[in-house]
Amino acid sequence: MTGPLPYTDTKSVGAADFYFAINATFRFIRRQLGEAALHQYWTDLGSRYFAPVSLHWKTGNIPAVANYWRAFFAAEPGAEVTVTEASDHVLLDVRVCPAIAQPAGLTVRVLGGNGSCHQTFAATQAPQDLADIREAI
Amino acid sequence: MIGCYDFCGHYEWTFQWLHDQRDDDLVHQFWDEAIGGDSQSHASKLIREKGFTGMGEYWAHTLAEEAAGYATTQGDGVFRLDINDCPSKGFLLRNNLEQYPDYCDHCIGWIGSVMETAGFAIDHQHNHCGQCWWEFRRQGTPSDTPAKSPWLFRNFHTDTFHLASGPKDKQSSSHD
Repeated sequence: MTGPLPYTDTKSVGAADFYFAINATFRFIRRQLGEAALHQYWTDLGSRYFAPVSLHWKTGNIPAVANYWRAFFAAEPGAEVTVTEASDHVLLDVRVCPAIAQPAGLTVRVLGGNGSCHQTFAATQAPQDLADIREAI
Repeated sequence: MIGCYDFCGHYEWTFQWLHDQRDDDLVHQFWDEAIGGDSQSHASKLIREKGFTGMGEYWAHTLAEEAAGYATTQGDGVFRLDINDCPSKGFLLRNNLEQYPDYCDHCIGWIGSVMETAGFAIDHQHNHCGQCWWEFRRQGTPSDTPAKSPWLFRNFHTDTFHLASGPKDKQSSSHD
């Protein structure tokens, strides 16, 4: 990777219509291959397609993580995200998630963490209970 | 989070992942169901309800948003789409991304069934370098076997479809 993102385009921001295709892909894999296969798809996507990102983070540490997320959300249409870089961690404050809030009009609630979680997407939900998100180990 | 900025990259990667889970039939089913029948269902509705006018509306929006180099023309009984700078294939070429052997087939993979349902047949060529053309006619309307367009330069690998409705209708695949 020469910049903060592994793959670059000629346009500065992506097309929001593609969020629908991403979601349709998840639905298709779950319907055809099952829940476990969908989890495997996400794992493979992270470890293979995004392998350059892992490598970049491993060598660049905290600043590389922060730079990645700044560049990532700058290229996503309608994202409102603050990336705060500290000496030992990076904090993402996602005020508007471009994939959920704008095209889909949905909210997301997370249960679990540390590599295993349930995420529920729906139009209306009770506020996120932060106790449902496990502290990182 | 999986973003839309590099969508074409993980989309193409997904084709090979699906192939590895089962076979090409699953990839074709993905294009047909997940893209044509699900995420692009608005295109299907537009084209079913408005025919050529719906095609013009759909591609004007989509290709403008993706910053494509393209032209559409509507003739007597035919709607034609010429893409001379495909943003999707262009992204893959510029980033040297190729997991699946024929990325370009994904277009007819989802457009094919959308058009078939709406009552149209497809003539099409793509050259795997970001250029392609399409002609849509009402099913039953005769058309000549496609001749190569002048912008499909030599030394490109060109796939040809005639009166087609999906990737399995590929008539020829030639290397000039």
